[in-house]
Amino acid sequence: MATNGVDIANLVRDTIYRATLLLDDQKWEQWLELCDDSFHYAIKSYSPEISRDMTYLQGSRKELATMVKLLPKHNTDHSPLTRHTSVYTVDVAEDAKSARAISSFVVYQNMLDGVNSHIDAGESRLFLVGRYIDVFKCDDSKALFVKREVRLENRRLDKGSHWPI
Amino acid sequence: MPAKNHKQWLATPPLQSDEWVDSRIYSDPQIFEDELQNIFRRTWVPVCHESEMPKPYDFRTSTIAREPVIVCRGPDNEVRAFLNVCPHRGMLIERRPSGSFLEGQPSGNPKRITCMFHAWQFDLKGNCVYISREKEGYQDRLCKENVGLRRLRCEVKFGGFVWVNLDDNPISLEEWAGKPFSCLRKSLEAEPLEVFHYHKAVVQTNYKLWHDTNSEFYHDFMHYHNRVTGFNDAYFARKNESFEHGHVVVGTFEVNYEQYEGFESRAALSFPHLPPNQWYMIDLFPGMNFNLRGSALRCDVVTPLGPDKVMIEFRGIGLKSDTEEDRQTRINHHNSIWGPFGRNLHEDLLGVTGQGTTMLPGTEPRRILHGRHENQTIHDENGMRHYYSEWGKWMNRLPSNPDQPFVKPLAAAE
Ligand code: FES
Ligand SMILES: [Fe+2]
Repeated sequence: MATNGVDIANLVRDTIYRATLLLDDQKWEQWLELCDDSFHYAIKSYSPEISRDMTYLQGSRKELATMVKLLPKHNTDHSPLTRHTSVYTVDVAEDAKSARAISSFVVYQNMLDGVNSHIDAGESRLFLVGRYIDVFKCDDSKALFVKREVRLENRRLDKGSHWPI
Repeated sequence: MPAKNHKQWLATPPLQSDEWVDSRIYSDPQIFEDELQNIFRRTWVPVCHESEMPKPYDFRTSTIAREPVIVCRGPDNEVRAFLNVCPHRGMLIERRPSGSFLEGQPSGNPKRITCMFHAWQFDLKGNCVYISREKEGYQDRLCKENVGLRRLRCEVKFGGFVWVNLDDNPISLEEWAGKPFSCLRKSLEAEPLEVFHYHKAVVQTNYKLWHDTNSEFYHDFMHYHNRVTGFNDAYFARKNESFEHGHVVVGTFEVNYEQYEGFESRAALSFPHLPPNQWYMIDLFPGMNFNLRGSALRCDVVTPLGPDKVMIEFRGIGLKSDTEEDRQTRINHHNSIWGPFGRNLHEDLLGVTGQGTTMLPGTEPRRILHGRHENQTIHDENGMRHYYSEWGKWMNRLPSNPDQPFVKPLAAAE
């Protein structure tokens, strides 16, 4: 809670859930509007096979904007993704200007192509499991993403994983 | 020519018989079993990189032709390979993908490979060093010396990869792959390398279709990234060079990474002895791929799981001496194209998945064409023709008609 009574934690939760809907709807530009200019995004995972922390994808806001702009030029699996996010903790800094949140998520792949769309289309499969570790810049009216680390449990990643998660 | 009726569709195309294969080689269950026996049980497989097991007592587990394999580093620093199978009652000895035998396990002591089931213990050379209640149960009839682990041929080579062969008397690894590796040997062996990336995909397709995709570049038409950073005169002059034993090397050219918005030159982090932004590709029979794009090495290893199912393991490799910052840049270079969320890999997976869908076991046998000739340059399909000629020899089957025994194709057609 900020000194003037604004519930910063609620603003943070609201931003995370809005981001989830925008990502599900593939509204990439609108998703990036929830991010500060200094935003940094990374998808990471730990591999017990090689005993190392890995970075599957990372970039600044500008780099992500370029990436999503070029997505239509690439071939892709057509199956949309549905993220289910639960915000577990929100820790607001004492000065109420920043916050850190940890959310758990699962991503379902709603088959359109599948292996054979005649058989697979219409089925949803569990696709990814992980956590969002987010940092926000806050004021009384909004919370903007400064950093998102997507921590995946998955090291088996088949087709369908072309997009920000 | 308009669309075809069934007879026309199955008619022999106006190409030589080594310029197509019969789709049954990608779908027939018996051919698949023969491949495990005749090829995968007899060939060198890079099961991991030595940097995945840097310390004595570290281990990694793997599978070759359905057989569980364990590789471990002994106290003498030697890397050895064994079947991961207990000689007592066939328990899988180590169940984790990686770890260290330095720590004791619930059933066994530190510095021992312990089978958890009845607590037999082995040292890192594969000797059995403990049988629980040995004398009570076996008296003098069976002792530790009778029951060591099954050791496998193992070598660390070509930039620190750990190669294992299930065959006790294989062709030497140097003879097997030395020549195709010669284009990159200086770069890969100048200093120690280190793995930074691992992921896998399990795809409903035949393993050879993945290897085909790695050795034919004609499919660059589906990669927007490769079209804008590649398609120029130097690209179209890249040579596909065939080597003995079914291997192929795709020669280098200078990639213009800046042509893809948001991408950068990789010149500053080139592997040792490699001119800037070069791109070499080594395709080893029967399904291993080493792909060096200037600053990052990728290695694919296939583990065939069925005629229509393959696991592909992807590794990214840099220099052990990298600073943290350089390493991160290398990782970006690798994963922005080849990572699970990168621009190209996903498209390759789409391609082979679609092929797998049309070539399920029991589908109508069809011809899969490999008939492009372009002076053995990048869009020539000589790499695949060379591969299938080798495959035919190992299988004693004609790729274009796998019910028939192999006959060598006319040299001119290659
Ligand atoms: S099966 Fe390994 S000790 Fe019995
Ligand atoms: Fe490709």
